[in-house]
Amino acid sequence: MNTLTDRYLAATLRSVPAQRRDEIATELRASIEDMIEDRAGGGADAAAAEREVLTELGNPDRLAARYADRRLQLLGPTYYLVWLRLLKLLLSFIPALAGTVVAVVAVVEGKGFGAIGPGLVVALHVAVHICFWLTLTFVLIERSQPTIDLPDWTVDELPDVPAHRDVSLVDTIASVVMLMVFIAYLPLQHYQSWVRTTDGDNIPILDPALWSFWLPALIGVLALDVVFEIVKYRIGRWTWRLFATKALLNLAFTVPVVWLALSDRLLNPALGERLDWLAVADNREILAAIIALSAAVVAVWELIDTALKTRRQTT
Amino acid sequence: MVASLVALRRPDYGYALLQRLTDHGFPVDANTLYPLLRRLEDQGLLTSEWNTEESRPRKFYRTSDEGESMLSRLLDDLAAVQTSITGLIQGVDR
Repeated sequence: MNTLTDRYLAATLRSVPAQRRDEIATELRASIEDMIEDRAGGGADAAAAEREVLTELGNPDRLAARYADRRLQLLGPTYYLVWLRLLKLLLSFIPALAGTVVAVVAVVEGKGFGAIGPGLVVALHVAVHICFWLTLTFVLIERSQPTIDLPDWTVDELPDVPAHRDVSLVDTIASVVMLMVFIAYLPLQHYQSWVRTTDGDNIPILDPALWSFWLPALIGVLALDVVFEIVKYRIGRWTWRLFATKALLNLAFTVPVVWLALSDRLLNPALGERLDWLAVADNREILAAIIALSAAVVAVWELIDTALKTRRQTT
Repeated sequence: MVASLVALRRPDYGYALLQRLTDHGFPVDANTLYPLLRRLEDQGLLTSEWNTEESRPRKFYRTSDEGESMLSRLLDDLAAVQTSITGLIQGVDR
């Protein structure tokens, strides 16, 4: 007994619930024989008729799934949209977060640029894990319960119409990175400048006395600048309010720097011991004037540039 | 499904039903019809009994009382759709 029909029945019944197997087998065999008989009665070859009938019944796995009322899809329309939304949400920050944490830990351990590799690998692993486990969870939910109550879609879920962005993400990131580097440099120069005493000790560039108030205050202003850049990106374009804030922040940074430079309190007096040129008071004044002037020019230039952009983007 | 329920007011077995439906303009695939009969039986809309008198054992299905009430609901729905379509067709200027 190894006809095509037998093989077809065996293939179909393999994945049909066991308690109904015999009944389905008997009925299906009878039906198939009916069909073959009908065709062969028309004068066709019995073997060819059998072949034709079984072809018409199609893939036995599909037939078995219909008998068992099984889904022939990994994830159906009931859960697909929720799955997709959750997947996007999780992928949008978790891999990056995990990768960053790992990279930071590696940096702390002193790996330097070698920290980028492990960070990327971990981010990739986390992303794959999220995809797999989330999908598996939804597949199991769909197969275990008839339906679970999902919150109905409401109009509140509509995303904002994508605004035309005048402030690009690349610019924002560049600005934030520059500010971070600047903020990091201020404490760094205290411990690691290129100037050393004859004993090899480090001489800070900026006057260490400034740490009592001015340097922390300036770092605070720079940190506000970072926040400002992010807010500006969220808003998407320059507004006069943003312009006013930016002007205030600029003044809050530039005015103290100019004043400190002109009153000869910015640079570390100890530098003069090592660099003869700086020991001369006139030279120090020239340097202070250059610093003050550049800071003022940069601030004024930024204000003009920002004002032009704001006017263009608010009209 | 409606056609099967109507046709099975007279008891019949799988292949004969398939032929009857086809003759009446309802071409159904065998691989759809046989599992469908099973499901309708599971839902109690059809009853069945084995007939072993003929050359091979055949399972005869018949529309149950429950199937009849379900059928009348479905026919009402179909009639409503038919009425709506007719109304729409007549309402549209050619």
